[in-house]
Amino acid sequence: MSTDRTPKYRQEIQQMMFVSGETAEPSVETTTLIEEIVRQQVVEILARSTALATRRGVRSISTDDLIFLIRHDKAKVSRLKTFLSWKDVRKNVKDSDDKGGADAADFAAADDPIAGGVVAGPQDVASKPKNKRARVGLAWDVNSFYSVQVPEREDEEDEEEEEQNYATLQRLAAADERTKHMTREEYVFWSECRQASFTYRKSKRFREWAGFGIVTESKPNDDIVDILGFLTFEIVQTLTEEALKVKEREDREKNRRGGADNGEDSKKRKRETGLFDPPEEGRTPVEPKHIREAYRKLQATPNKNIAMLLHNGRVPARMPLRLI
Amino acid sequence: MSLGHHHAWLPPGHLRPPDDLHDARSANGFSRSFSGARTPQLRASADADGLHAGTLISDADLAADDDPRIAMFRDLYKRSEAQINDLFANQKSAEEAARSAVADAEETQTKSQRADESAPPPAPAKKPARKLDDDDYDDYDDDDDDDEAPTPPKPNSLGTSHDPSGLPSPSRPSSGSVSVVIEAQKETKKETLEDIRKKLEQDKKATEEAAKRSFHTLFYTLENDRDAMLDQQRLEESERQVEAEMSGQANAGNNPNSNSNGYGSLSSANLGASSLTLKNLIARIDMKRTMVQASDAELRSLMSEVRKNRSKWASEDKIGQEELYEAAEKVLSELKAMTEHSTAFLTRVNKRDAPDYYTSKNSLLFANGSSLFNMLTPISVIKHPMDLGTMTKKLKALQYKSKQEFVDDINLIWSNCFKYNTNPEHFLRKHALYMKKETEKLVPLIPEIVIRDRAEVEAEERRLQLAEMDGADESDDEPIMSSRGRKAPGKSSKKGAAPVRNTPSGSEPPAGQASQPPAPVRSDSDTVMEGTQNGFPTPPPGGAQTPSDPAGVGAGVQGSQGDAMEIDGLIPSNNNTLTALPASGMESEDPEYKVWKQVTKKDRAVIAAERHRLFKGDKLNSEEPALLRTKAGMRRWLRNQMQINAEGDKARESTAQGLDPGAAGETLAEGIEVDEDRVIPDYYDVMSGVPDLPPHLSWKEDSDGNIVDASEEFLRVLPSGSFTQPDSKLSRKMDANMRQMQETRKVCSKIGIVKQMQLQSQMYQNQFQKYQPEPFVEHDVPAHVMNDGGPVISPWVCKAALQRSVAKIFYHTGFEEYQPSALDAVTDIASDFFQKIGETLKSYMETPKLPASETPEPNTAPQWKRAYTEPEMVLHTLSSVGVDVESLESYIKDDVERLGTKLSTAHDRLRSLLSELLRPALADGGEDGSSAFQDGSEQFIGGDFAEDIDEDFFGFKELGLDREFGLATLSVPLHLLQNRMYNAAQAQNTSAAQAVTLFPPPPAYPRITSETLSSQIGLVQGFLGAKLKTSNSESLVEDLELPPKQRPTAGRPRLPASGKIQPPAAASGLTTSPQKRPLPPSAASQQPASKLGMSEPSKKKVKKNSGASIGASESVVEGEEALPGVDGTKASATTAVKPNPADEPSVDATPDLSGKRDMDTGPDGVGAESVDNAASLTNGTVAVDAS
Repeated sequence: MSTDRTPKYRQEIQQMMFVSGETAEPSVETTTLIEEIVRQQVVEILARSTALATRRGVRSISTDDLIFLIRHDKAKVSRLKTFLSWKDVRKNVKDSDDKGGADAADFAAADDPIAGGVVAGPQDVASKPKNKRARVGLAWDVNSFYSVQVPEREDEEDEEEEEQNYATLQRLAAADERTKHMTREEYVFWSECRQASFTYRKSKRFREWAGFGIVTESKPNDDIVDILGFLTFEIVQTLTEEALKVKEREDREKNRRGGADNGEDSKKRKRETGLFDPPEEGRTPVEPKHIREAYRKLQATPNKNIAMLLHNGRVPARMPLRLI
Repeated sequence: MSLGHHHAWLPPGHLRPPDDLHDARSANGFSRSFSGARTPQLRASADADGLHAGTLISDADLAADDDPRIAMFRDLYKRSEAQINDLFANQKSAEEAARSAVADAEETQTKSQRADESAPPPAPAKKPARKLDDDDYDDYDDDDDDDEAPTPPKPNSLGTSHDPSGLPSPSRPSSGSVSVVIEAQKETKKETLEDIRKKLEQDKKATEEAAKRSFHTLFYTLENDRDAMLDQQRLEESERQVEAEMSGQANAGNNPNSNSNGYGSLSSANLGASSLTLKNLIARIDMKRTMVQASDAELRSLMSEVRKNRSKWASEDKIGQEELYEAAEKVLSELKAMTEHSTAFLTRVNKRDAPDYYTSKNSLLFANGSSLFNMLTPISVIKHPMDLGTMTKKLKALQYKSKQEFVDDINLIWSNCFKYNTNPEHFLRKHALYMKKETEKLVPLIPEIVIRDRAEVEAEERRLQLAEMDGADESDDEPIMSSRGRKAPGKSSKKGAAPVRNTPSGSEPPAGQASQPPAPVRSDSDTVMEGTQNGFPTPPPGGAQTPSDPAGVGAGVQGSQGDAMEIDGLIPSNNNTLTALPASGMESEDPEYKVWKQVTKKDRAVIAAERHRLFKGDKLNSEEPALLRTKAGMRRWLRNQMQINAEGDKARESTAQGLDPGAAGETLAEGIEVDEDRVIPDYYDVMSGVPDLPPHLSWKEDSDGNIVDASEEFLRVLPSGSFTQPDSKLSRKMDANMRQMQETRKVCSKIGIVKQMQLQSQMYQNQFQKYQPEPFVEHDVPAHVMNDGGPVISPWVCKAALQRSVAKIFYHTGFEEYQPSALDAVTDIASDFFQKIGETLKSYMETPKLPASETPEPNTAPQWKRAYTEPEMVLHTLSSVGVDVESLESYIKDDVERLGTKLSTAHDRLRSLLSELLRPALADGGEDGSSAFQDGSEQFIGGDFAEDIDEDFFGFKELGLDREFGLATLSVPLHLLQNRMYNAAQAQNTSAAQAVTLFPPPPAYPRITSETLSSQIGLVQGFLGAKLKTSNSESLVEDLELPPKQRPTAGRPRLPASGKIQPPAAASGLTTSPQKRPLPPSAASQQPASKLGMSEPSKKKVKKNSGASIGASESVVEGEEALPGVDGTKASATTAVKPNPADEPSVDATPDLSGKRDMDTGPDGVGAESVDNAASLTNGTVAVDAS
């Protein structure tokens, strides 16, 4: 097992980490660790969604199964829905592209799954019917309450979506802040990094990597793979952000403790760090221990999951893996 | 005790039980049984008046008698009341009467009784005299009660009255004389002894009183109970042992139960009453001896016959044995009962324990269990071992001949002990010392009697009689008296009232008594004693007096005391055991506690033993019967409670009054179960506690005697809403959401129906279940009355309420229905979860309080505050179950509020979808769709296109309808098309209402017969007549009266392949009706049919011209089925119309009938409503056409 577990996504992970805020160059160990974590998560996701599908009596997993697993993270679900709907748009555009090739620019703009929503808008009236975003309905939505399919209505804005895009917008704002002062080259690099994906144009590698055929059927839906790509990006991003927080806290703690231990040194160092130092995050990359700590934090069992064990129960030795 | 109660006791047989009780309790209540209740009373009365006793001897004697048998003679007394009055008018005459009455023993008894009753000279005394008896009975029953009330010692030197109830009685003067006589005559000797005895009694009682008083003030622990129990067990063990040995001896010897021996067979219980009676009788006989014709021997045999119940000690041959042994046994058992000290002396000394104890004699052993410890004891010190058990054996074997022997044996025990255990510190010496003192206290109670053989005594009597033949008149009486006297003590020794016959000092040797006439000795000494003590002279009936007796008494008393001092080196105080006890105990215990232990030992032992029985090893023994409360115990408890209340301050009088009903109940219950006394505080007898009645349960009556039901004010109705969702913004929102869902589902079902209609050509009445959901209403529990505060603890109701809430949330989440098991599971989980929340919250609430301030001032009491404030508790609890306020808020925001908006959006959309679906019919067209089809689509639907293709599709043109109505097009108005849908809905709505007939149907038209033919309209008369002719003048049968299959119908109209309705062969098709039979003009027969098919009147017409034998409705359905196939591409909705044109030709056959039919449907009300437009239109057309 360990022999064939050569890191396959080092570059992608690096890019994702860069997008997520890690400016320094992470070590191979770090990326490998992240990759392993992501893989574990993907396998878990696949296994659970397969179980769900089996319970439904279906052999192949559907998007609903995947979304169901992350249903509690509303922001993520919302982003995913946005992603899927834009993906749909893209497909339509591609179809129309094949016909008329009119919307090439639009297609390019819509390439980015996340930023696409902002950049790619319906550009002209002609493209509108084709470009119409298909709403992704979920099985547990209000619409499924009724025996009759609730008709779509174009004019109604999904205010819920807007609201749930808040987190996404926050991210975009942060990215905007970071890119504000970038040079052109830097921005190119940045946008390249943003396109990093586990799955995009390397679905075969991903399938092998994630163990398709072992965990679940080997020929996944295109949508599934895309969703997984989206989710893996989210995982890496969450991990990185958390690890950065851990590292920041550690650094702060180290500074403070150093000050306590030998006051002169710390003062000196503080003075030194004041003016001409390079930005802090640029100096030391996130180390595997930070990743581990971040992972541990993300795996911590919330009280809610063990509430029923209060007073007489015992926390089981092993809680199921938490999806990040 | 009341008079009424006394009457209940009238039969003498019933009077026994109190005595029984006393005897049965002899071990327990030994001391008390000494207190002859009547005696003190008599004394007191004797004090009160100075009547000359001698004159009233007999009366007094009998009046003094407390024998319950008096009651037996009460009616006799009443009968002879007049006579008695005479008797009292003159004492002499009374005597005369009495004398004459003493003819034989029975008679005498009765008469003397009467005389006795009548003795009091003042008239009012009669009743009181009886009352006195009552009081005496009281004493029998309530000896225990006497204990409770501290009896102050009487001023008179004789002793105390133990009968508080009998003190100030109006009968005193009368009975006073009586009592004096008694003393003088018979029981005078007893007086000094009684004095002592009473002192003992009194002491004992005082002790008990003191102890009892302390019951209310002190709490004692149970730690000594076990010891007491063990001691008691040991005592019982030894007694059993003695018993076993004795019975073994008796079996070895002759008849153990022989009555001649006078012991063992007779129950001692019933002795007292009868012997007492006899005593009085004997006294009377003695007095009137001269008038009695019977000889002494005869009398004696009579007596022995009369006397029934004798003690086990009684013996004909042994005079004095009975009373001596009675007393001795009691003293012995009393000594044994002092288990605290007597344990060591109960059984003979074990050889193993004290190898050096015995010398040679093995027959009599001295019990001193632990002399083993004393090694200083010289060998073979004890020559005559003795112990209490051995004494009991000797007693039972009748080995004691006199009191002296008995006392000697007792003293031998103690002296043995002192001799053996020479060490002055030895603990047994203390016990022996104590026992010795007790002995000295008790010994005076034993009469100074030497047992003699009867033969000997009688011989002596005879000798004396002969010698004194010429003596005084009284000398006649004396022999009998004395002989009786010997007998009497035995009889009157019942209840230990009279065992004390002699002063201790006056213990003449048996020889001396034998040499002397026995009567004088006793009677004289008694008399003198009484005389000195009472302070007034009582003429002694007997001539012989022993002047030294008074001195002797005093000496005796002092002597015994001196004895005690000699031996103990202590000053025993006879009059205050309370102080004497600690001294004798020589222990450093609290005197009060000591007394307590002493007094209550027995009862404690009993109670502890009862409790002990319940255990086997360390566990409860389930086999053992439970301890039950007794009525007596509860009564005693109540009495004590009342006493405490009475002793308490007067402010609590009201509560004591509140207990009065209980007291009444107590007296009522008293007769049911024998009372039983226990000198034990109430808290010892836990079972007998009677809880206070809650005030609202007590029986109260208002001034009118109506019962005040106090319970009402304690009842309260459970406030409504305990089991429903409280009204709040959230719940209202949720309810609104659910209502919205229901509305939306209604829309959905409509959409479903419409869609189904589009797909399905044929519909049934009940094909579409109407979806008309009712709004959810939470029902509260029905009105519930509670009698205390707090929530209703009703698990099932609570669970049901929770289940409903869960179901609501389910519905709110989108589930329309759910399986009960799922609901149950979720309810259980929810209740579990809430339980966790509750437990967590509780643990936070119960966190120990913290000091309020950091530095508490030393002077002030520390202020405490809760560790957590309430919001903190809630937040902590929420966090420990993994919930926080944010998540709750987001739930409300997302899952309730936003859901509401989503739901309304969905509702709007679905409604618009529905209206889109219905647009051609309903969207703009109003209810009936009359103004629909503005956009031209109606042309297609309504068949307007037929004109374009020049096809008379519906046959309008052929019928000439177009010209008739000036129809621009040949299309069918669209509202007719929609009627099908409308009808489908209407049928569902009105299906229930149809069953109800608003108006009674009109009377059926008579059948057409030859008689009624003339009443028909002329047009049809001929036709009908022909029909009648063919049917042999039988009345014509309506087609509709026939079963559907038999109805003559034309073959179903078949549509040709072209789908066009074939025009009739001739324009005169109107006359060629396919109907073979004449349709009777009477529409009555059509009444049911029209009712049946009210909603589809058009179908009737179809039936009529369709010749096939199919029912009306069937034919319609089939017609409808058939037509669409022809229509091909046309919308199925249009098919409904087609039968109507098809009907036209045939309907015309009976134009007037159709008119009538219209009228007929009218009265039906409902039917008229449901007749659709198509029918009326068609009919209208037909009518026009026909005209």
